[in-house]
Amino acid sequence: MGTMTQPDSGATGRAIILVVDRDPHIRELEAHFLQQAGFSVGFAQDGDGALEEARKIVPDILITEILVPTLDGLALCRRIKADPRTRDTAVLVFSILAAAGRAREAGADAFLLKPLAEHTLVDTVRQLLEARTARIRRAQHE
Amino acid sequence: MSDADSPIKRLATGNRGLDEILGGGIPENSINIIMGEPGSGKTALAEELIFANADDERRPVLYLTTLSEPLDKVIKYLQQFRFFDPEKLGRTVLYEGLGADLAANGVGALLPRIKDAIKTLSPKIIVIDSFKAIHDLARSTEEMRLMLHEVGGLLAVYNTTVLLVGEYRHEDIAVLPEFAVADGIIELARNALGTRDERYLRVFKLRGSAYRQGFHAFDITVSGLQVYPRLVSPVEAASYERDVSRASSGVPGLDPMLGGGFWTGSAALVAGPTGSGKTTMGIQFIVEGLRRGERCLLVNFQENPTQLAHQIEQVGGKLDDDARGRLELLYYSAVELSIDRIVVSIFQALRRSPIRRVVIDAIGDLATAAIDATRLHDYLYAMVQHFAVMGVSSLFTLETDPPIMARDREHGRLSHMTDSIVFLNLREQDGIVGRTLRIAKARGVAHDLQERALQIDAQGLRIVEARR
Repeated sequence: MGTMTQPDSGATGRAIILVVDRDPHIRELEAHFLQQAGFSVGFAQDGDGALEEARKIVPDILITEILVPTLDGLALCRRIKADPRTRDTAVLVFSILAAAGRAREAGADAFLLKPLAEHTLVDTVRQLLEARTARIRRAQHE
Repeated sequence: MSDADSPIKRLATGNRGLDEILGGGIPENSINIIMGEPGSGKTALAEELIFANADDERRPVLYLTTLSEPLDKVIKYLQQFRFFDPEKLGRTVLYEGLGADLAANGVGALLPRIKDAIKTLSPKIIVIDSFKAIHDLARSTEEMRLMLHEVGGLLAVYNTTVLLVGEYRHEDIAVLPEFAVADGIIELARNALGTRDERYLRVFKLRGSAYRQGFHAFDITVSGLQVYPRLVSPVEAASYERDVSRASSGVPGLDPMLGGGFWTGSAALVAGPTGSGKTTMGIQFIVEGLRRGERCLLVNFQENPTQLAHQIEQVGGKLDDDARGRLELLYYSAVELSIDRIVVSIFQALRRSPIRRVVIDAIGDLATAAIDATRLHDYLYAMVQHFAVMGVSSLFTLETDPPIMARDREHGRLSHMTDSIVFLNLREQDGIVGRTLRIAKARGVAHDLQERALQIDAQGLRIVEARR
């Protein structure tokens, strides 16, 4: 289980992103580029740890690799979407596996294929946040 | 796109010949080694590639020098190339020296420097030159291997294409850990051929991609590397539609022996000893094409265009402007040129204009330009196949002395490639030496098998009578 960095969106007003990847390099680079873009970033190294952390902090966005230990990224996505506490969390599957269709079936909001291209990652995260905000507003009006 | 589809994007190298060999370029987000001895053109190739791709200030190209050459020297020599663009330097092409950091902190300095570069510069391409020199700083093989594991892991997850340049030898491939990490390996080499050196480029490995195997000749010019991809047979060879018309030989009396002439788009081999009339027959073949309004190409290695034009006019009479405009002469000194360059020039001529006839005089000179007999054989075979697909009728001359192909394995191999074989010979009878002609092979034609007397005069060769 990894440690969270700047996880409190209430205190900072910044969106919280939970990054799930077993590779320390990608965790570090994702955290760097997302923080640089103004987000609060925490991370986990495996699926079970990520689920536990997500239930605790309820991130705005969860970015997960499919190939992570204990609970794979697609199963993690299903669990996140099935849990009333976390179902509003947007899930971005970011994987070395070309599995856009499987990610969609698992309920993911977006899919990106590795390697890490920071501009694409940050743009996708911003789009997901906008869509998530609009969705929540619509739900509140209804 | 299905989930299984993950097309590999390619990074064009900026070098047309090399891109042809690589199937479009090196795969993006790959780690590649450019290896070769000092002076083999490694740095020039890497620099040509980075300047061709340095087009985005948000994603510059990063060139890291290590311990082999001082940064100033690298930049000094870079300026001699035409691809060098001073506007790009410092904006989209960034040079940095790692030497001091490596010398002070050892191989462990590399990972944080690359990581820092990724975080601060977002480099599209990273070149490390020389990567091999870093080995000299490692205290142990384990230290180098661990560093490579970390660096390889970092570079694999980030969207950048990496070139590791180094003075590696062949034996390094099986031993040094960077070769296991590498997705692509390109070797630049020099081979001695007679009194000159031939530069060759070879792709050893290109993970997940098809590429053209074998040795490809290249030169280093002010424009960068001039690469000549090895000629291979056309993929359409098995399925093209054959022309059923005839291409007259231009030799009086020979066409009837061939049932009307050579097949259009076929290849003929004219073999014989010195003085038997091979070059003259080639010229007659060309002159006949010109008479028929065809564009013709004569490739020669012995006589310059002025001498050749004189010979052609002797055989065919004075050419008018139209005929002269349809005749292309290529002259090469086979001593100074490689077969790759010659073949590329021939095909450039064929692309420039709709040439219908080609004469190559002589195969022996091409052999001098080829690094080995197998290469010559492969090139001739591919050339004949290309000519057939393009509908170009070709005639190759070959010096044979003694003129019996079966005695010579090489000549035997050559004979299988062409559709027709015509033997010219010198015969002595009653103290008088005369010329003869015999058709040894004419694919798909009920040809005359008789050896016939041949006469040569100012207008060229002509069949005079059946040999008794």
